[in-house]
Amino acid sequence: RVSRPEQQVRGAGASPARRRRSMAARYDRAITVFSPDGHLFQVEYAQEAVKKGSTAVGIRGLDIVVLGVERKSVAKLQEERTVRKICALDDHVCMAFAGLTADARIIINRARVECQSHKLTVEDPVTVEYITRYIASLKQRYTQSNGRRPFGISALIVGFDDDGSPRLYQTDPSGTYHSWKANVIGRNAKTVREFLEKNYTEEAIATDKEAIKLAIRALLEVVQSGGKNIELAIIRRNQPLQIFSAKDIESQVAEIEKEKEDSEKKKKKSI
Amino acid sequence: MATFFGEVVAAPSRAGGDDDEEAAAEREETPEDREIRRELEEKREVHILWSSKLSASTGSFTDEQFPCSKFILAIGHNAVAFLSSFVLNSGCWEAIGSVKLWNEWCRTSNTTSVLPTDAFCLFYKLISDPTVLLCQCNCYVAEDQQFQWLEKVFGCMREEDLQVTILSTCPVTDYKTPESTLTLPSPFLKALKTKEFKESVCCPLLEQPNIVQGLPAAVMSYCQVWQIPAVLYQCYTDVIKLDTVTIEAFKPVLSSKNLKSLVKDMSKSTEILKKLVTTNEIHNNIYT
Repeated sequence: RVSRPEQQVRGAGASPARRRRSMAARYDRAITVFSPDGHLFQVEYAQEAVKKGSTAVGIRGLDIVVLGVERKSVAKLQEERTVRKICALDDHVCMAFAGLTADARIIINRARVECQSHKLTVEDPVTVEYITRYIASLKQRYTQSNGRRPFGISALIVGFDDDGSPRLYQTDPSGTYHSWKANVIGRNAKTVREFLEKNYTEEAIATDKEAIKLAIRALLEVVQSGGKNIELAIIRRNQPLQIFSAKDIESQVAEIEKEKEDSEKKKKKSI
Repeated sequence: MATFFGEVVAAPSRAGGDDDEEAAAEREETPEDREIRRELEEKREVHILWSSKLSASTGSFTDEQFPCSKFILAIGHNAVAFLSSFVLNSGCWEAIGSVKLWNEWCRTSNTTSVLPTDAFCLFYKLISDPTVLLCQCNCYVAEDQQFQWLEKVFGCMREEDLQVTILSTCPVTDYKTPESTLTLPSPFLKALKTKEFKESVCCPLLEQPNIVQGLPAAVMSYCQVWQIPAVLYQCYTDVIKLDTVTIEAFKPVLSSKNLKSLVKDMSKSTEILKKLVTTNEIHNNIYT
């Protein structure tokens, strides 16, 4: 076939992404279409969007649940308070998310309304599992209707049930949810999860203070410039959400670094 | 061709029959078409501007080739920032040239003091050893311009004893592996080398069926054809903007024979790196 010079020039104008002729290219436009090997590409791509958000870690202790997030640096002229990754859904439940900010706002609003609606209807506060299931069903509905795209967020939902048991759940863009002892979402989640798998022990969560320290240590693995970029929130049984001040976090970080130094000195001495 | 959604898609046809009519129409090209095509080609031409210092220091004119023993090429802003913080600041380098090109995605700037977010392609020479050449390419070189770029850049070098090292990045979602991309330890480094490259590489080789695309591929192909020893270190990362973790993933490359001698003083590197990344952080509020 004679190649036309215009085509050569126009061909170079095509975007690099469009030139890739992979199977994904034909099955990833419509959300409601499975690929021949059973993938829902839009849902999988939504999970990539989650990885663009900063790290959020959740730890379930015995009498406490902890949420720690990496705070993104704000622009000089921007108000810090308007960038919040940890939000209360009710007095006894709160969540942290990673991914598209706007999607998270919609989900949080719907969840908050549902919490109050539940309380008014059945006169009991929601269980953590109920509100997680509500959020997960909402996300799943958006993976199955035409003209919509999945929510690009994963959420860590923590709280205490009426019977006093602490709970931690994680949801993802596909609408699945699981209960966890400790989990992490967002950027560098893999590194932090490996740290948690090694360090989440009976002793590490024996007291409230230890659980908080574990959350901060997990975040310090991946957060650059230490304590001032960490935000922490806890819920103790029968108490409302408590967000730590920057000063409290700095003092915790200082304690952790001192402990690290001491243990290294001990190691050197024993050698 | 109709797909199973009922949409009609024009498919390229291997039947030769259609072409005769079209080809006939082509031959009747007006002078206006020719003029437009010529202007387009002129616009897309790649120009390399060598500074007058180069000819003065090597004692040759820019038309002649200058001797080159090491050519280090960084493609993409993470690779460029890595060389800026670890190599360019530990040694005396002099900017000796730049590339001027235009395509639909990039217009290179003319100045030599540029930010990592600008589009540029600059050449540096090591003052203590003028045969070491470094190129920082932060602009998109389109397919039709790659050949020109190669010819003009390599055309200026005398290729005896030349060793080429290329650094580039690629999204980890392009990495084909039987494992799920969610479990890959990104960022990670993979290497590709030409037949003539006999030294050891500082990371695992790129496995099949992965391929390299774009300017790094063009340079490797050129080196393979002209039997120049060359190695490409590709960093697969899940962050496409300037990111310290991705940049630091290139560190193993500093132990390679080509770069070891060039890195004398790494003490200021983390500081410079932090500065580069923070000054060019675009405050993206879409993801939290």
